[in-house]
Amino acid sequence: MMDFFIDPVLRAPMWGCILMCMASSLMGVLIFLRKRSLLSETLSHAAYPGAVIGVAFFALLFPAHEEWSFLAVLGGAFLSSLLGLKALHWLEQKGKVRSDAALCFVLAVFFGVGIVASSAMQAQLPVWHKQVNMLLFGQAATMSDMHIWIYGSLALLVAFFLFLTFRPLQAFLFDRSFALSAKMPVLFLERILFWLLLLSLIVGIRSVGVVLMSGMAIAPAVAARQFSDRLQTIFILAALFGALSGLIGNYLSVIASLPTGPMIVLVGTTFALLSLFFAPKRGLLFRIIRILAFRLRCLEENILKGIWKKGKFSETPSLRLSFVLWRLKRGGWIDKHSNLTNDGRQKAASIVRLHRLWELYLAESLGFQAEKVHRTAEEMEHILTPEMEEKLTRLLADPKQDPHHQPIPERRL
Amino acid sequence: MNYALEAEELNINYGKTPILWDLTFQIPEGRLVGIIGPNGAGKSTLLKAALGLIKPLSGKISIKKQVAYVPQRESVDWDFPITAEEVVLMGRYGRLGLFGRLRLADREAAKVALEQVGMSAYADRQISQLSGGQQQRLFIARALVQNADIFLLDEPFVGVDLATEKAIMALLRRQKEAGKTILIVHHDLPSVEEYFDWALLLNTRLLACGPIKEVFTRDNLAKAFGKSQLLFDEAAELSAKSISGIL
Repeated sequence: MMDFFIDPVLRAPMWGCILMCMASSLMGVLIFLRKRSLLSETLSHAAYPGAVIGVAFFALLFPAHEEWSFLAVLGGAFLSSLLGLKALHWLEQKGKVRSDAALCFVLAVFFGVGIVASSAMQAQLPVWHKQVNMLLFGQAATMSDMHIWIYGSLALLVAFFLFLTFRPLQAFLFDRSFALSAKMPVLFLERILFWLLLLSLIVGIRSVGVVLMSGMAIAPAVAARQFSDRLQTIFILAALFGALSGLIGNYLSVIASLPTGPMIVLVGTTFALLSLFFAPKRGLLFRIIRILAFRLRCLEENILKGIWKKGKFSETPSLRLSFVLWRLKRGGWIDKHSNLTNDGRQKAASIVRLHRLWELYLAESLGFQAEKVHRTAEEMEHILTPEMEEKLTRLLADPKQDPHHQPIPERRL
Repeated sequence: MNYALEAEELNINYGKTPILWDLTFQIPEGRLVGIIGPNGAGKSTLLKAALGLIKPLSGKISIKKQVAYVPQRESVDWDFPITAEEVVLMGRYGRLGLFGRLRLADREAAKVALEQVGMSAYADRQISQLSGGQQQRLFIARALVQNADIFLLDEPFVGVDLATEKAIMALLRRQKEAGKTILIVHHDLPSVEEYFDWALLLNTRLLACGPIKEVFTRDNLAKAFGKSQLLFDEAAELSAKSISGIL
């Protein structure tokens, strides 16, 4: 494994991928938070025809200098991305085309032109065609040490920029019109961000390819968002996830000799998926656990309430109910014969109190009909907090009866 | 007399539809002004034009002094990763320039503003965990730390509980006592006379601008909200369609 970082042949793709993914993940956070993911997708696809045509021209003009052809790739990609952007603005403003339609249209047209141009090269310039084809899904293996420097400087540039302009950046991402009204340098920032985005998309083509470039940028941002509510932390986490996807993706692609881009993106999206499921606060798994826990609590409270009203537990318990009863016994709310303990009686009374307070509140303060209040109260009795109970009590002047003329139990002392 | 906000023959269009049509008015300093009109009357557009966020087609609108803007609450993504305190601190970012760092004084100001709107306990909360009223209080606090001379608020009472509405009004009145000018886009007619001492009645065209007693008459309200407007709207729509070749 260490070879991947030191060996003269292996180290360039490894470090190149890590640094490139770090830079594009940082940019990805910005795109993700501005909800412009599709824009980066379109820009990277629009880069393809330029790169292809650039290489074709280069092949005709300087057939002997293949080692410099990357300049043609960069230049061509850059120009056609810009052209794509112009077409996009024109469609949106002059053509009155909806933004998402315009994005897809530009993406499809430009990418199509690129594919056609690349097929045309196949017969005429077969050697160069291979190089152009590689831009679709990336080919990190051909990187040299120079790429480490290029991607390293890009990552450093992006990180430095984010660090220095963090405050106005945060403001304008959150609330653009406020940032403008407070005379923050929003337009200047937007311009720089756009150029950085374009730069990172275009130089990233080498390792990930035009097709998956924006997926690479966004996936780490999605993963990072699940773990934190702080923008600073999200940036750091996204850079970390990005670097890891670059590392693992490149490693897998070398040992299994698969294209680098798809491997990196697969690793990145795996991170994103795992985070969506398992992140502690926002993750799906813990949300489901919390939902189940809430349902269980509702059931427990309802049983306590039932026993309190009827005096005893009268049903033959199903498996689920037996489990709940076991939990209630263990919690000290009921005794061996399913009778309420002292604590259980107080708890049940306070649940009934919340229920009836809520019914009264709906009927008296909000003018609901008395027959219709029971159902929502059935739910709210499990949700109302002590502070809300306090407020309700004060609002209704410590009432003694609910709308159905049932007594409201006294507050717990 | 000094004016906080002046407009002269202001015209704003969206495509070929006029949003604001030939507005000329002055609003003196130190008033609490309600900007009132039906939906689609161009109230928010007027604020944005005053801030320079929208370019007029012709004419001009000018604000002389420092402005604090409170946009509509729905205009931002409340799931954004940011804490309540950071939102308030944002009011200070305008002075920092591109590379500025926050100073102790800025943090102190944010703390005081949070206290003023009764949100100190929520300083470290992520903003999606706040209620509608609390989110609006946050926006008010952010405007307060700007130490501006003029406040522009866009529908600050939409989706906000009554207690918050009263608290915000009390805060704004205190700002007015201190000589600040406050403009509020508002569309709850019953509270207009209680809240404002000056009103600007708007429905694409300016219908009235002046002290509340003079402006807030049955006659003017009928003009703003009533049927006499319909013919104008119909004609404008027809002309927009004809010009763009739909008819």
